[in-house]
Amino acid sequence: MAHDGRIQFQEELAGLEKAAMGGLDLAVVALDRALETLKHQDVELAEMLIADDDRIDGRYLEVHQGILSLLALQAPVATDLRVVAALLHIIKHVERIGDQCVNVGKLIPLDGHDPPAHPAMLENLGRMGAQARSLLVQAKQSFERRDAALARDLVRQDDEIDDLNRECFRLAIEIGDDPDRREWAMHMMLVARCVERIGDNAVDIGEQTAFVVTGLFREFEDASHPELAPQ
Amino acid sequence: MSAHGSVIPPSSSRNRAKDIGFRALLLSCLVASVALLALLFYDVFGDGAGSLSFDFLTKFSSAFPEKAGIQSAITGTLWLMGVCAVFIVPVGVATAIYLEEYADPNRWWNRMIEVNIQNLAAVPSIVYGILGLAFLVRGPLSLGRVVLAGGLTLGLLVLPVVIISGREAIRSVPPSIREGSMALGATQWQTIWKQVLPASIPGIATGVILALSRAIGETAPLILVGAASFVAFNPSGLDSPFTALPLQIFDWISRPQPEFKALAAAAIIVLLAILLAMNSVAIWLRNRYEQRW
Amino acid sequence: MTEPRKDPEREQKRAQDKPMPRLDGAIHEHQRQEGDGAVAESAPRAKETIFELEDVGVTYAGVPAVREISFPIERYEITALIGPSGCGKSTLIRCLNRMNDLIPSAEVTGSIRYHGEDLYASGVDSVQVRQRIGMVFQKPNPFPKSIYDNIAFGPRVLGMEGDTDEIVERALKRAALWDEVKDRLKDNAFGMSGGQQQRLCIARSLATDPDVILMDEPCSALDPISTSRIEDLMMELKENYSIVIVTHNMQQAARVSEMTAFFTVELDEGEQHRTGRVVEYDKTEKIFTNPSDGRTEAYVTGKVG
Repeated sequence: MAHDGRIQFQEELAGLEKAAMGGLDLAVVALDRALETLKHQDVELAEMLIADDDRIDGRYLEVHQGILSLLALQAPVATDLRVVAALLHIIKHVERIGDQCVNVGKLIPLDGHDPPAHPAMLENLGRMGAQARSLLVQAKQSFERRDAALARDLVRQDDEIDDLNRECFRLAIEIGDDPDRREWAMHMMLVARCVERIGDNAVDIGEQTAFVVTGLFREFEDASHPELAPQ
Repeated sequence: MSAHGSVIPPSSSRNRAKDIGFRALLLSCLVASVALLALLFYDVFGDGAGSLSFDFLTKFSSAFPEKAGIQSAITGTLWLMGVCAVFIVPVGVATAIYLEEYADPNRWWNRMIEVNIQNLAAVPSIVYGILGLAFLVRGPLSLGRVVLAGGLTLGLLVLPVVIISGREAIRSVPPSIREGSMALGATQWQTIWKQVLPASIPGIATGVILALSRAIGETAPLILVGAASFVAFNPSGLDSPFTALPLQIFDWISRPQPEFKALAAAAIIVLLAILLAMNSVAIWLRNRYEQRW
Repeated sequence: MTEPRKDPEREQKRAQDKPMPRLDGAIHEHQRQEGDGAVAESAPRAKETIFELEDVGVTYAGVPAVREISFPIERYEITALIGPSGCGKSTLIRCLNRMNDLIPSAEVTGSIRYHGEDLYASGVDSVQVRQRIGMVFQKPNPFPKSIYDNIAFGPRVLGMEGDTDEIVERALKRAALWDEVKDRLKDNAFGMSGGQQQRLCIARSLATDPDVILMDEPCSALDPISTSRIEDLMMELKENYSIVIVTHNMQQAARVSEMTAFFTVELDEGEQHRTGRVVEYDKTEKIFTNPSDGRTEAYVTGKVG
């Protein structure tokens, strides 16, 4: 006789997922702020950004505690168990993304209110940021819909970020000859690195989606497994 | 909240009255039946206590009341009970085992056997007397009016009691015991012999004693099977004539002399005492050895 | 298949004189290394199939209870049978030691092979089957006898050779009960607690030196601590015996077993009665982390009862 069992447990699990996805939303907001800060060299916004990271950390603790409680009390198995394990990973990645945004926020004020900017570099970074944002949104969608194909697509998009990152590096070397802008260029390089990390975290979230769907944990692709890249 | 203002309202007075009235009714029924019995006992004791003595137990029957005793009646009764027991225990227990352990309850002949046994327990005892007379005393076996015939007749009379109580005792052994035994590799026979029967012995023994205590008081079949009432000797063997306590009592009651009535009352007391003893043993056995599963 | 009516006299004689007569070549005897209750060293063992079920079905008075059951059971492992009530797990496990023979209306179809031999072949003696394949029941069922006599009963009725005292001691040691009862072997078994009684029943089945132990929900009548002790005992026993356990408690199946078979009960098309079937048989870890069948998933996650 089929009946919808464990309603309490299902609701709790759904709540946890919502909290984790909410955390991802917070991370997107943080990224937006970081990009704003970058575009307008807005020192005050940077301070707000750094302060608000507490919210993401709080969300992390909340979800972490919820997962421990669920494991201890409800003994989830099969798909439920995989979802719980995935959420634990995802919220960790969310927290990392938040930290990377904070790093960006810390870097911007170092150059004062009016740094000697290089338009091409800024534009590059802007594009990287936008791409990373779209990656985060897609990662969230892929998990919510349990869409493994959408998750796999993240790899391709992340490749674009990696290309832009290399471009930033090249630009930085160019600027490097100019003693006034050298320091600024170094900071921008670090910003690029933060954004690139955010992209990697988004791909990792996609891997969790694939794990939940297939039951197999496989890295999509990284430097050590180039053969796993989508053909 | 009731009008009295308490959290738990008291029961309505009508319900209480019904409760008390019901208990009073039950109690009065109990008192009535006990009172009747008490009256009987009082009457018998009044009549017979005076005649009880050691001599009474050891003397034989006689035409003279002052010389009469119940020794032959007691020994006759004991012989009868002996024959009865030797007959009913193996036959009754074996039948109970067959019906409980081997017989398929869906087969019509097994159901017929069951129904018949229930009926036989209710057949009037005089019918058994006629049966005994026709088949044991006369007829095919032609044993004559002897102890063996009397004992077998009584045995047939109470056999259904042994079978029914034996079945109850065997049935009360839970199936889990049988399953556990068979799962270890015992055969059905080993299971019955080593597990079921030993566990049902208290119940079977109780049943046998109750059967015997019924048999001890039966008069009608013995009359027909030919227990003589004037027997001044103890039975010498299975083929000897005999008398029994109920018969002696019946005989003395029928005599005109009032002294014999006193003797009859005394014999009744003896019979009651024996019955009480037997039933007490049965109850003690049951309480002491009953298996609580 | 009904149990043929045996001649009581012959049976008694047979039980008394010869120990473990050969089964007309139908089932082999299996030697076991005897330690003094000590657990054998677990060298890595190749998987060996001990039972092979093929298209097994059981009907009671014509009504099918289970059908199309096909899966193997491996040696020296614990195999769990799980599934909702009425799916036939108990019915199936009782086929493995021919306990369904005791139910006249039960009929077993299909093939059950034990060490390659057909368990239901005409020459096979169910007494010998049950000596080798023991069973522990849901509610502990000690006999109303002393602890010693409980354990000794099996070996005695089977006519096993050897010193009875030794056999009893060895069985109690293997069941992790010896230290608790060695000073009161003559006490009535009913005086023990529920958990002890169940371990006594396990010791009792061990005394006949079996190959396989079947357990039909052995812990469902026990408190959590007793349950835990018996689970520990099972993990010890699987070094030397193969165990098949039916359980309602999924966590227990997850904790103790290597392989799990999930049963379901469904109403087939055109049928009147619901029949039990095996939906999935796989490594326990897989069943509980990533089951292949949606019905298994629904059951283990508790969405369907």
